[in-house]
Amino acid sequence: MSLRHIWAITRKEFNHIIRDRSTLILVVLTPLATLLLMAYALTVELQHIPIAVLDYDRSATSRNFVQQIVSGDDLDLYAQVSSIEEIENLLMHGDVKAALVIDPNFSRDLLAMRGMPMQIIIDGTEPESGGFAVNHIASRAEEFANEALSSQMQMMGFSTDSLKPLDLRIRTWYNPGLKPRNDLIPGLISMVLGFPALSVALALAHEREHGTMEQLMATPVGRAELLIGKMIPYIVAGLINVVMLPLLAMAWFDVPFNGSFPLFFGLSAIFMFAVLSMGIIIGVFMKTQAAAMGVSFLMIFFPGFFLTGIFFPIVSMPEIMRLESLGMPGTHYAIIIRGIFLPGVGMEILWPYAVMLILLGFSFTGIASLFFRKKLG
Amino acid sequence: MFRRILALVKKEFIHLRNDWWLPAFMLFGGVLELMLVGWATSRPINNLPLMVLDHDRSAASRALVISLENTETFALEAMVDDFQTIEDALERGEISAAIIIPPDYAEEMAAANGTPSLSMILNGAESIPATAALHAAEGVAATLNEELIIKRLKLSPDEFSGFAPRLRVWFNEALSEALYTTPAEMGLMLEFTTLLFAALAFSREKELGTLEQLLVMPFSSLEIIIGKAIPVIVIAFTDFLLMLGMVHFAFDVPIRGSLPLLFILAFGYLLVELGKGMVLSVIAKTQMQAFLLVLLFGMTDFMFTGYAAPVESMPKALQFFANIVPAHHWLEILRGILLKGAGMDVLWPHVLALAILGTIIMTFSLRFVRRALD
Repeated sequence: MSLRHIWAITRKEFNHIIRDRSTLILVVLTPLATLLLMAYALTVELQHIPIAVLDYDRSATSRNFVQQIVSGDDLDLYAQVSSIEEIENLLMHGDVKAALVIDPNFSRDLLAMRGMPMQIIIDGTEPESGGFAVNHIASRAEEFANEALSSQMQMMGFSTDSLKPLDLRIRTWYNPGLKPRNDLIPGLISMVLGFPALSVALALAHEREHGTMEQLMATPVGRAELLIGKMIPYIVAGLINVVMLPLLAMAWFDVPFNGSFPLFFGLSAIFMFAVLSMGIIIGVFMKTQAAAMGVSFLMIFFPGFFLTGIFFPIVSMPEIMRLESLGMPGTHYAIIIRGIFLPGVGMEILWPYAVMLILLGFSFTGIASLFFRKKLG
Repeated sequence: MFRRILALVKKEFIHLRNDWWLPAFMLFGGVLELMLVGWATSRPINNLPLMVLDHDRSAASRALVISLENTETFALEAMVDDFQTIEDALERGEISAAIIIPPDYAEEMAAANGTPSLSMILNGAESIPATAALHAAEGVAATLNEELIIKRLKLSPDEFSGFAPRLRVWFNEALSEALYTTPAEMGLMLEFTTLLFAALAFSREKELGTLEQLLVMPFSSLEIIIGKAIPVIVIAFTDFLLMLGMVHFAFDVPIRGSLPLLFILAFGYLLVELGKGMVLSVIAKTQMQAFLLVLLFGMTDFMFTGYAAPVESMPKALQFFANIVPAHHWLEILRGILLKGAGMDVLWPHVLALAILGTIIMTFSLRFVRRALD
């Protein structure tokens, strides 16, 4: 292996990318643009969920209760309706995500301290909004019951918060307020940083498709040198993003970055190596760019989005899928990047994931250069 | 004209036959992958590692731990003796939550006017599992509170209706996660497959220099476009049918509405995506550019399918933008017909929007592609 050989290939590949300015822009900017969009669209905090109310009780108490339910930014009163059919219609059209039905004996039962008979109907096709409405109505109901019953409770000799004697005190570490953007954005960064792998798969397939791979093979450049040289420009493009994306997250989205930046940079470089090796394998096996696209979409992009634990926790997946996710560099890198961003942990905790990335990277490149010879020979 | 289009379609299919495994891989591999991803991720969040620091060690505290485990959201990682262990585990990201039971827990639970307390620590570094853990713990606390109230106010359990609302779920009675995640995942796969094949249509010929040959033949540009479009539509629609069958049979996603209506609208939607893909195909000079553009556009559209966040909660500007994203309307239509059994009376605004978008995109792409070809 000679550095001069690697450098020759790298320079050639760089020329390729730079000569074609729009490819350069796309390679560098696609991750950035995708991150920006996803950060806006996927990390929204739910609010202003439209609900309908059907009040069979029609008492001053129930009217007050409804008032209190929709007093915040979280739930909006879309309509007061007078029948279940109307609710059905609103849910069917998607105008409301949830409906509150207050039973006829609501105020009577409440004053007798027998409860607050009511029902929430949610649209099961959008459980996220529905679940949100349920949680918020339930907590408002609790407050309301406490207020309404406090004097009675005191007369009976109970302290006013006896409706909720058990006090569950929640503390959230690393991300007070559980803001989804604080951990989803680092997760999304780990995903978009995998994009250069797609480009490198295409770049290799490009040589095959145009028949220029034979020419390269006729030069004294070795196989591994060729592969590494091909990888370097995309590692560089990736590393530009490694610097830009956290800055964007911090400056634009106020995501705290509590760890060490040099460590982040170093581990990101290792990740680049591992994920690009995955792209290299695809590039080695595919004869056309079209094929490389299809395969890298199904093998890198789609699982990288759904199975690396960014949206759905890996511990909740079935055993086999957990194993598959261990074989993907993105899984380990997502853990690293979240660890560095929020708790700000260092190498003493992250080393197993770094080791995994290095192992994956070397085994992928190993497989790639092994088959590279056979494919061409 | 039809004969010439037929000749072109034949040429495209010969291409596909030589490269037969690519469409086959995209179709069957895609369906298989959708099944795996759906299987792995359309389930309630469960098995979250929980640590318990029990200072009380009473029957009551053990009962609490058991009811937390019974939610199935949690898997007991360990009962620990000191806080340091919890702190270390949180830092390593090994647990999603920890619960600390104070020494007077059982005593306060039993006292007539006692105020038992519990501390819970959530690992905010992963907000999605942490939120699930929070809701599960709150649910357990609410049940305990209800039991305490009944006991303390000396009510009989059957006359007590509770202070928490009863819940009814429509359209998805069992609250199966698969019913809303798999249609979105399916939408993403379908869009990418369609865009990919459409985007390859011209960028490939352009890059390999065969487009000129095609242009000197006695075909009009419209004939070339139609000839290129037909194989893509055939592939895309087959993909749709395969995936629909898969989510229906493997994930029990119901088809409550009219199937013919769904087919017609699916066909219309695929035409719109095809038009978009064709535009990308002539904008791109190389296949790599085409691919990156597909990636960018595909991801943008996926944001508005309601997979991770409902469109209604997005900033106003994005909500407006959602209206011009075909995939957004398509997902509303898909979910509406599959899950709600909705008909045209309900879906017409989305169908209309799709039709308008389709007309604009198709006109634009026809003119654009023709100009690029001529």
